[in-house]
Amino acid sequence: MLRSVGVVTMCVVAVLAAAVAAIGFRAHGAEIAAATFQGAVPALALRFAVTPLSAPFCALLAILTTAVAMWCMRRGAPGEPLLIALFTAAMLLVLVARSVALFFIAWEAMSLVSAFLVAAHHDRRGVRRATFTYLVVAQTGALCVLVALTLLALAAGDTSFAGIAAHAARLSPGLRDTVFVFALLGFGSKAGLMPLHFWLPRAHPVAPASASAMLSGAMLKVALYGLLVVTLELAAPGPSWWGLALVAIGTVSAVGGVLYALVDHDLKRLLAYHSVENVGIIVIGIGVALLARSAGSSALAGLALVAALFHTINHGLFKALLFLGAGTVNEVEGTVDLERLGGLWGELVWTAPFFLIGCAAITGLPPFNGFASEWLTFQSLVGGLSGGGLTVTFVFVAAIAGLALTGGLAAACFVKVFGVVFLGASRRIDARPAVRERLDASTTGVALLAGLCIVLGVVPMLAVGPLAGVVGKTLGLVVLPPPALPVLPVTLALLPLAGALLCVVMAARRSIRFVPTWTCGSPVSAAAQYTATAFSKPLRTVFAFVLLPERQRRYEMGSSRWLPERISYRTESRYLVDEGARRFAAVILRFARRFRLVQSGSLRMYLAYALAALIVAVGLAR
Amino acid sequence: MMLLLAQVLSIAALAPLVQGVMKRLRANLQGRPGPSPLQPYRDLAKLLNKEALLPHGVSPIPLVAPGIVLGVAVTFASVLPIVAPNAMGIVDVIALAFLLGLGRFVLALAALDTRSSFAGMAASREMTFGSLVEPALLLALLGGAALGRGTHLSVLPDVPFGLAGMLAFAAFFLVLLAETARVPVDNQETHYELTMIHEGLVLEYSGWQLAMLQYAGYIRQLCFLVLAAMLLPGGAEGWRHLPWILGLMGAVTVVETLFAKLRLFEVPQLFGTALIFAVASIGLRVLGGLA
Repeated sequence: MLRSVGVVTMCVVAVLAAAVAAIGFRAHGAEIAAATFQGAVPALALRFAVTPLSAPFCALLAILTTAVAMWCMRRGAPGEPLLIALFTAAMLLVLVARSVALFFIAWEAMSLVSAFLVAAHHDRRGVRRATFTYLVVAQTGALCVLVALTLLALAAGDTSFAGIAAHAARLSPGLRDTVFVFALLGFGSKAGLMPLHFWLPRAHPVAPASASAMLSGAMLKVALYGLLVVTLELAAPGPSWWGLALVAIGTVSAVGGVLYALVDHDLKRLLAYHSVENVGIIVIGIGVALLARSAGSSALAGLALVAALFHTINHGLFKALLFLGAGTVNEVEGTVDLERLGGLWGELVWTAPFFLIGCAAITGLPPFNGFASEWLTFQSLVGGLSGGGLTVTFVFVAAIAGLALTGGLAAACFVKVFGVVFLGASRRIDARPAVRERLDASTTGVALLAGLCIVLGVVPMLAVGPLAGVVGKTLGLVVLPPPALPVLPVTLALLPLAGALLCVVMAARRSIRFVPTWTCGSPVSAAAQYTATAFSKPLRTVFAFVLLPERQRRYEMGSSRWLPERISYRTESRYLVDEGARRFAAVILRFARRFRLVQSGSLRMYLAYALAALIVAVGLAR
Repeated sequence: MMLLLAQVLSIAALAPLVQGVMKRLRANLQGRPGPSPLQPYRDLAKLLNKEALLPHGVSPIPLVAPGIVLGVAVTFASVLPIVAPNAMGIVDVIALAFLLGLGRFVLALAALDTRSSFAGMAASREMTFGSLVEPALLLALLGGAALGRGTHLSVLPDVPFGLAGMLAFAAFFLVLLAETARVPVDNQETHYELTMIHEGLVLEYSGWQLAMLQYAGYIRQLCFLVLAAMLLPGGAEGWRHLPWILGLMGAVTVVETLFAKLRLFEVPQLFGTALIFAVASIGLRVLGGLA
């Protein structure tokens, strides 16, 4: 019952989001379908409106909500859908908020509801800690967002976004930069940019899979939407260093995210690290767009922004797909530990191929959607390479190299994930009867996402066309996608597909004989398969200077001096950022101890504080 | 279109010969008589007539992987700007890198599916080196060409050759050694399980499937040689790269004879060197105002 109510609510929110998206895509001006609720205080007016820029995000929200709702019909706890519906509604509210007060209220609602989602399994180990970390980062970030928006509103003397945007051109450079830094801290921490990503790999894996799908697929994107609104509209035009900084941060996030994903063997945490990576790729596109815009080359700015928005949509699709797949694996096997999974291809007969499509898409293989948007991002980087001065060239060359490395490492990581979880033989120790998955609502939800990954990959213009329109209306220019884009995916994938068919035909005509794996004569054993830890070992060694791996080997000797009875091997990476964060937290705590003096615990003292604050406030207001 | 077909067919026809000649040359340099240069054709014919075996319980991925890898190789052959500079102008340097990634991805998955620890080890190493070589590959080709000229492969032969071009070529040559499984990185002739990379990936393959994979490898190798030749001076016209291709075949063989295989964890330094060459090449082009 609870589940049905939740799923229906999710569907309602999805329809709403789709409607908003439809309005936004058709919009010609900056804002349409606007409504303002004036309260007693004019500064707290709540203004709703649909803008072209919010349309792609709303469309993504609608698709993801539908797919997750379908998944929730069969899987997950019954209470989850209702919370997720609330969460989605809050995100939708952020996307249509066009005044400071409403934006902040919606933003906080989004953070709080998602915190409940993260805390869903609060009885499990580490979940409360993760929720706490998430809340601290979310609230600090929200504070930064509030500071940025308030500064803008004060300068403009208006709290509606339209009013702020109208005043944007007259902002002083110092204020503009301050706003950018606060917006970057606030939105960047929510989006999971390095080095403020550390809450993400903690919070996403402990949340239920359906919630993780929405957190990674949609919420990070809403944060990027906030960044776009500030940099393209409210505080625009920015100086060139904004774009350069975003390209650099994006590259660090992309490479760093994928490196940590590579050595992680908790499927959901690994996927969370890939969100850091993909947000990095998106932010590279945003950075190139800002840089090109400040340099006056509008064609490049349009291309880069289309690339960023396209990758935003694509990442939402395949990341939600992968998280839902991981949720299914978790329900079937009771674990997402890569070292204990294996050979699920034969059981999850529906989820496995869809998951493979997700892996191929996130790796950027043609003809899936990740390829098209990553290719566009590369194009925009190469386009900007020769434009600016030496600094720009240096940063862009580093970004191209970083992005190429990211692509390669992501491929390695998803070969590991898919090869270990779905292929090979099962690593299960306790035998249980194999269950063959059936095509039901939840697999259909995953299929919907997989289908979109293929469709948007094969026919990228389906997404690029409307996105070019959105970017054109937002930046006030005409965007022409590269002429090669519509035919590129098919050109690349046609012959490989034909080759695959040739193999099928050959196999049908001259049957293939199935034999035991050649193991040099020893008995075939599932334990002899390469594990995830072993697979990532070479890269762990090559990147030891970042990953700081530690390993423990333990030998339990039995009767023989030479032959150990048990060997155990453990390896773990320490996180550079976490080490830094720990030191930072220690400093803050030491500082906080000094302030204990004012916290006397006496009620009268607190009343005196409140009175003093009131007097000061009244004094200031006069 | 006919010209393009002729290009693909001639690359496909000559690729085993190139492999045979290089193998013979290497044997001669090492003081062995070596097999006939036509031996690869005979091997392929023999394998094509043999039955294919696969391990019990595998998914369809190992079944279709050889076809996908072959398709990737043939696509590679069709996008090279030899006879038809603009026929396939839509496939650029970046798309090429993604395309090569497709073949690698599928083959590594197939290797993991065979449950063999040797294949798994090879998959791990292939993906490691594949990811490390990708930045060098991309920047070498961009350094060779793309600055201000777009990213199309067809601009490669028109770029003026200079110090920057030389550096780009040096970077690409190191990439070529890695991508064609040559000695400082890999050894095509080894069957010692712990050292092989590419041979390990295809360990469980046999019969016509192995023939497809080997043929794909030959085509890929010739394509890389052609691409490297295009980074050298010679003009855009058709087969004027031929002397360079022959020279490169010799150079690869000499490298294979003179050098020993690098230790596994020293290989990344080779890619680092390639990356530095490529970045220096781009830097020179930007400083020289060629952008």
